[in-house]
Amino acid sequence: MEIIHIKELSFQYPESDNYALDGVNLHVKQGEFVVIGGPSGCGKTTLLHLLKKEISPHGLQSGDISYIGKPFDEWDERTLIEEIGLVFQDPENQIIMDDVMQELVFGMENLGYSPIDMRLRLAEMVHTFSVEHLLHQKTTALSGGQKQLLSLLSALLLKPRVLLLDEPTSQLDPVAAKDLLIMLERLNKELGITVIIVEHRLEDLFDKADRVVFMNEGTVVYDGKSREVIHQIFNRQDQRFLPYIPSISQMCLELQHSPTIDQIPLNVNEGKARLASLPPMNPIVKKENQKLNPDAESIVELKDVYFQYEKTAPMVLAKLDFSLNKGDFYAVMGGNGSGKTTLLKTCLGLLKPQRGSVKRFGRKLTHKSIDSVHQQIAYLSQQPHTFFIQDTIEKEMQLIAEQHEIQDSEQRIKSLLNLFGIEHLRKRHPYDCSGGEVQKAALACMLLTKPSILFMDEPTRGLDSVSKIQLQSILRQLHSEGLTILMVTHDIEFTAQIATKCAMIFDGKITAEAAPHTFFTGNYFYTTSINRVTQNSQYPEVLTLEEVLHSWQTHELA
Amino acid sequence: MLTLAMYFNHPIFLVTILFLLILVNISHDRGKDLRKWLPTLSIMSTLIILINPFLVSRGTTILFYFRGKQVTLEAFMYGITMALFIAIILVVFISFNLILNGNRFLYIFSKILPRIALMIMMAIRLVPLMKRRLDEIGDVQRLRGMSMTVGDFKTRVRNGMLRVQILLTWSLEEAIHVTNSMKARGYGTEGKKSSYTPYFMDKRDWVWLFVLAGLMMLCFYGGRLGYGKMIIYPELGPWQFFWIDWIVFCSMFIITSFPLFIEGREKIRWKLSI
Repeated sequence: MEIIHIKELSFQYPESDNYALDGVNLHVKQGEFVVIGGPSGCGKTTLLHLLKKEISPHGLQSGDISYIGKPFDEWDERTLIEEIGLVFQDPENQIIMDDVMQELVFGMENLGYSPIDMRLRLAEMVHTFSVEHLLHQKTTALSGGQKQLLSLLSALLLKPRVLLLDEPTSQLDPVAAKDLLIMLERLNKELGITVIIVEHRLEDLFDKADRVVFMNEGTVVYDGKSREVIHQIFNRQDQRFLPYIPSISQMCLELQHSPTIDQIPLNVNEGKARLASLPPMNPIVKKENQKLNPDAESIVELKDVYFQYEKTAPMVLAKLDFSLNKGDFYAVMGGNGSGKTTLLKTCLGLLKPQRGSVKRFGRKLTHKSIDSVHQQIAYLSQQPHTFFIQDTIEKEMQLIAEQHEIQDSEQRIKSLLNLFGIEHLRKRHPYDCSGGEVQKAALACMLLTKPSILFMDEPTRGLDSVSKIQLQSILRQLHSEGLTILMVTHDIEFTAQIATKCAMIFDGKITAEAAPHTFFTGNYFYTTSINRVTQNSQYPEVLTLEEVLHSWQTHELA
Repeated sequence: MLTLAMYFNHPIFLVTILFLLILVNISHDRGKDLRKWLPTLSIMSTLIILINPFLVSRGTTILFYFRGKQVTLEAFMYGITMALFIAIILVVFISFNLILNGNRFLYIFSKILPRIALMIMMAIRLVPLMKRRLDEIGDVQRLRGMSMTVGDFKTRVRNGMLRVQILLTWSLEEAIHVTNSMKARGYGTEGKKSSYTPYFMDKRDWVWLFVLAGLMMLCFYGGRLGYGKMIIYPELGPWQFFWIDWIVFCSMFIITSFPLFIEGREKIRWKLSI
């Protein structure tokens, strides 16, 4: 049965010349798990919001959307609110109440359910998802993953038949993101809820989805089963969407010439099986020269650092030693609440440790020195838009140039904007840019003063695959020009590709520190999916797709 | 309790009430919050006690003359009662703050003013959120050299204002998402909003309410007849307690110490059951 039927849907935002959606046709059957992907600004979020009538944006709309055979307008408001649920992107912004219980019943209260009905539904839901322990907590005390789960549950309490999700995992760490996806799969399989999810991170979703839809510039470009879509994109070598294909599928497609659709692996297990069935190759084992150069000058040094946020709170950092050498591209990884961001802020001097010494450029950090050497330091926070004071990116850069009396500023501004590929955004307000664009703009501003260290807090959070690849190449170039980089991240694939040194923070200490290859290979879970496929196979372990393509195939050709 | 404190002005009554309230407060959080307020409280009380006699010269019992003005015992006494009274109000509010969290507050007020209660509720939640955002902005801006600790006063103020400006832009942006989230869950739909209430009045609660109300009536009745009060102006009345004074005192004592009694009983039960 068709549950949602979209016919020739076009949409134009007020004061905009372009169509956000341009003749979209989409039919969703009851119980389908549909994934919608595409670059930022392709119209996927607009499409999703149009499916939820209460929040559909204002603008010029043409074409029809119908729900179970009847157009949206003919349904009464209440039914649509109940039967179509929506979970938003940012866990921070969609929680309204102070208390978990109140938040859960918020929707039911608004619709005037009787207390008995509410209690019954709540009891059932809380029990099914075993969240009893959260029920009486403050919403502010929850982790990002828990907040997102809470939003999902509060939508589920209205017993929706269709669940819409707008990039639900983009602000979560990989473990929490995986948990949420497993939950969605369960809802879809066990309750038959139709799931329509808009997402950037598609690595795991291809395996779960019944259907994958790719959009670009307001139109549907690909629509079909996961394997079919992968096959089509790969065969056409469609550069716009190649980065979205899971690396495992991509690897096998590259290694095996023209495989059939059914042979495309979507998960590690299938990937392993595929790899084993390939004709034997003799890849060159390139010993990578990733040496940690211990002789380099240390520019940030932490010794015996202890830190706790409150007197009664547990130690976040305990007897931590850390040193960042000149020319490093250092990635600090670790679970939620393991103290990654705390470490970063301690290095920046924003947090003062209870004990231990923090030295930067060989000098002890004092209150004054933090403010006096700020030109040498760039800090890209998780909210890059907090950097902007002016209302256009151009003005911001000019202001910085003025403040620091930079010579030939116009030329430098231009070259930086070109380097980041954001020349066209020059006159744009930072808040009107997408997440990736703001990040690039903030970086461009910071680099005007020619800093020697760049600190980044979760730079890949909320970025789509294409922006991620762009960021990667920019960072690589900056690093090769001599910038020392320290980043805190969850993103294993990203780290494996660009970092020169990785560390794991656990229990308040740096527990492991090595070059990425040594760091990740052999890890069971905490490693890239390509590595998981190649572990214990007849081939040497590799980390990234690039490695596979470079070392394996060249040999085959030779 | 507050009404009782306002009703009676006999220092012995007030001292007792204050003492019991402090105990109640200690039972909540071992007086952590109270301790923070202690300096303010003591300074304020001392000031009132010291200043009142010099400003007000009513009363007949003259202690001494100060710059030609009479300083009376009555005004002094009045200052003491005032100080006690203010101390009681403060302590009550500290307890109030500790006990009545947002949820309970909302529950009480949502019956009368549902929409406004929800708005207040959301505003309360926003305060810590804004604080966190402001900290984040502060970090980022400080590291780009817009410090609030270095430079002359004018630049510092300007930098501070810029931070607030960023906070406002950011928060307005986020507010759109909040409204969307509310609308998506049916906020503002026609029809009555119901309430999921985890607080119930059971039989025991009613019995206690009844008892307390009875005692309260007794207090008011006694108060109306002039018991539990002390005549200050124009001439300080006698300290003496009549037997009805004692009855009123006892009922007041029970009302005020009621929370202590409940909490104490729980504690004793816990201790004994081990």
